[in-house]
Amino acid sequence: MSQKPKIKDLLNESACAHNKTKKVACNAPTPGATTGGCAFEGAQISLFPYADAAHLVHGPMTCIGSSWETRATQTDWPGRDLTQMGFTTDINLNDVVFSGEEKLRDAIDYIMANYAPQAVFVYSTCVTAMIGDDLDLICKQAAEKHGVPMVPVHAPGFVGSKNLGSRLGGEAALRHLIGTREPETTTPFDINLIGEYNVTGDMWQYAHLLDELGIRVLATLSGNGRIADIRCAHRAKLNVIVCAKSLISLTRKMQEQYGILSISLSFYGKRDTSNGLLAIATALGDADLLKRTKQLIVREEALLDEKLKPYRRVFAGKKAVLNTGGNKTWSIAAALQDLGIEVVATAVKKATEDDREKARQVLGEDGVLMMNPGAEQARLIDERGAHLLLAGGRSLYTAIKKGIAFADVNQEKKKSYGGYSGLLNLAEDLKNSLENPVFKLVARRAPWQK
Amino acid sequence: MAEVIHKRVKPLQVNPFKLSQPMGATLAFMGVDNCMPLMHGAQGCTSLTKVFFTRHFCEPIAIQTTAVTDALAVLDGGDYSIVESVKNICKKVTPSLIGLHTTGLPETKGDDIAGVAKKVDFPLVYVNTPDYEGGFESGWALTCKAMIEQLVAPATRVNDNKLVLLPHVSLQPIEVEKIKDFIESFGFNVLALPDLSSSLDGHLGEKQAALSSGGIAVEEIKALGDAGLVISVGDSMQASAGALQKKNPLMRHQHFSHLQGLEATDALAELLLAETGFSGPPLMLARWRQRLQDAMLDSHFSLGQTRFLVVAEPDQIAAICQALYDVGGKVTVAISSVDSPQLEKIRAKKVLVGDLEDAEQLAADYDLIIGNFHCEALAHRLHKGLVLRGFPNWEQVGNPLKNDLLYEGGAYFLFECANAATLMRAHLAAS
Ligand code: SF4
Repeated sequence: MSQKPKIKDLLNESACAHNKTKKVACNAPTPGATTGGCAFEGAQISLFPYADAAHLVHGPMTCIGSSWETRATQTDWPGRDLTQMGFTTDINLNDVVFSGEEKLRDAIDYIMANYAPQAVFVYSTCVTAMIGDDLDLICKQAAEKHGVPMVPVHAPGFVGSKNLGSRLGGEAALRHLIGTREPETTTPFDINLIGEYNVTGDMWQYAHLLDELGIRVLATLSGNGRIADIRCAHRAKLNVIVCAKSLISLTRKMQEQYGILSISLSFYGKRDTSNGLLAIATALGDADLLKRTKQLIVREEALLDEKLKPYRRVFAGKKAVLNTGGNKTWSIAAALQDLGIEVVATAVKKATEDDREKARQVLGEDGVLMMNPGAEQARLIDERGAHLLLAGGRSLYTAIKKGIAFADVNQEKKKSYGGYSGLLNLAEDLKNSLENPVFKLVARRAPWQK
Repeated sequence: MAEVIHKRVKPLQVNPFKLSQPMGATLAFMGVDNCMPLMHGAQGCTSLTKVFFTRHFCEPIAIQTTAVTDALAVLDGGDYSIVESVKNICKKVTPSLIGLHTTGLPETKGDDIAGVAKKVDFPLVYVNTPDYEGGFESGWALTCKAMIEQLVAPATRVNDNKLVLLPHVSLQPIEVEKIKDFIESFGFNVLALPDLSSSLDGHLGEKQAALSSGGIAVEEIKALGDAGLVISVGDSMQASAGALQKKNPLMRHQHFSHLQGLEATDALAELLLAETGFSGPPLMLARWRQRLQDAMLDSHFSLGQTRFLVVAEPDQIAAICQALYDVGGKVTVAISSVDSPQLEKIRAKKVLVGDLEDAEQLAADYDLIIGNFHCEALAHRLHKGLVLRGFPNWEQVGNPLKNDLLYEGGAYFLFECANAATLMRAHLAAS
């Protein structure tokens, strides 16, 4: 039987709350009016942070040539960080005509001989899926030959979006890694972090707190991850999904197969971080752990409030408009409020029903949920007297025109905004932005235009 | 001249710096005013390309995808997704041209884009750019050629004052502008195809356009046929020059492998003097020539004791290696993204088609690296000096304004390399 996951099944994810409201064709992009990434990219994002594994892209040059070394997923893996390397079979016309299987086989052998990774992920892409190269067979044979897991990842770009690709990545891990090894020891407080990729070290903003509470991160998918750990992930007591709806099908299946409960939360901003820690302690169901968690939260919040004091003066009376998508529509809004900034509007055009509801809760009655932010944001800045626009790069011009500060929240960020300490980073960045004269100066008219 | 290895020997690329043909095509279309590049394939290629160029140029990049999906990928001949794309694009914006180019997917299933293009009732140029063939440089060159073949009207007379410039893919916007200025200072009217000098030069526009602004106008492309002279820069652009001459056999052609360094610039000046009958160049050029001469002497000591690795597209390697060679710099290794006849002419000890893993294995042979931002990790790990050139450069701002060409840019280039080499030696001595 084919090892390929059934795309239909993945699209009909019953555990995904927004599924019922989405059209069946939610994976069919509109020709000429689409901007998102492909399934391959999504799969790569969800598996890439395993720095001890090689990520071999079986396809032509666009897929990896333009996308390696782009994400700052950090790791403390002491060996060479294979995430920051690009491996591709770079197939050519000859391979397209006569199959690229032999090349793929040789490429895996080459990687094993030269880099000795703990596993190899082999990604199919549009062209190699079309020509029908048999990844499953090649991976099976290579795994036997080399004695480490070889994981075929069937997420060629044409099957759908980045989001679907992340699910397919999770699926591949479930089929080929999870449950293939037993941990040396277990504790009652073993959890898996799912969907946290440790971009800019986000995970490290709160991992030490879990540690202090005696909560052990058994495995991650896949931030700062290790192949050996994810193979043991089936022994965790709890799956913690961090800000990633796309991996809900994975955790549902892990619940079915291994009885692992799962909760979904975010570590963004003060309130979310506190709520997240509480949720984990509650789910693990230990009274003492819960008590200790509450104490730790009180301590950490007090510490943070102390450090935020100088910023509060800067942010007092400041208003912001937020134009982003997905869970950022409310999570960044909440973080801004934690800093004492009033959020007068947030864009919900690209958000799910769930996210819209949350945004409504966070912003309260007065806040505007923008359905058409491109047109609305400029007007709202005027009407509400906003001082700050947080959006993607395309909105920079709106800010310049209005002469207000701008912060890019969509670009690949360089600093972590996660956890309690991440909020300090955000505060610092926003303060710098508010105090920067450039936004007023750059729109200045030339002497010959006056 | 050099030991040249034309073929990759490994079954894979490890740490590639090669870029794909569709990406080169996209960039070429961005040099046309109000153009919408439309990449035919699944959506990921377009999304990755968009992010890639946005980060390199620090500019918004307009580009669309035909978003081929599972079912269509197997059944459709490209008709639906292409026709539908054009419709959807035109709902929002009015491009002056749609630049349709392929990726590996539709090429594998054999879509007939020329056929589909005929069904589209909108100004459109199509070009086949499968990403399992060629590379960045050829994608750009093929697109330029396609624009000439499909847009330029045949002509039977020439206007001696009108000159067409065909720049290769690795020239930054300001470099194209500087070549145009150089030629224009002799009194010519110069049109560059493609022309990034006014579309991706990093200018802050009045508003955020959904299409590229600046670049050569479609009407100007159509009327290129009566130019008296076409100048191609980079061997990849020879075929485009040939295509243009076919539109008008009276048009003359001058080719330059590159325009970096004293000799190449002199050759261009000589040509323009001969064409115009001027007895000397404009004053500014003469002054910059003297400055370049001085820069060569000032930098020769540092550069003369430095061994270089150059990794780039073929045409750019040829240019950089010559400039370094002229001041005694020794390019011990040059690694090209793809094969090209140009490799035979490169001033380097060893030339190969390869990747950055090859560069790592040859680490003992060089001190300073000239290449794209992926070389940074390499330089860091191997304790080498570094000068960032080529696509992408995500670490630094100001890429569109980097000029290495002609007398002026040549001087700056040598200074930058010499300073980097000196700094590197200081670091090494201290560590
Ligand atoms: S759409 Fe297909 S060919 Fe393009 S990047 Fe994604 S997997 Fe690769």
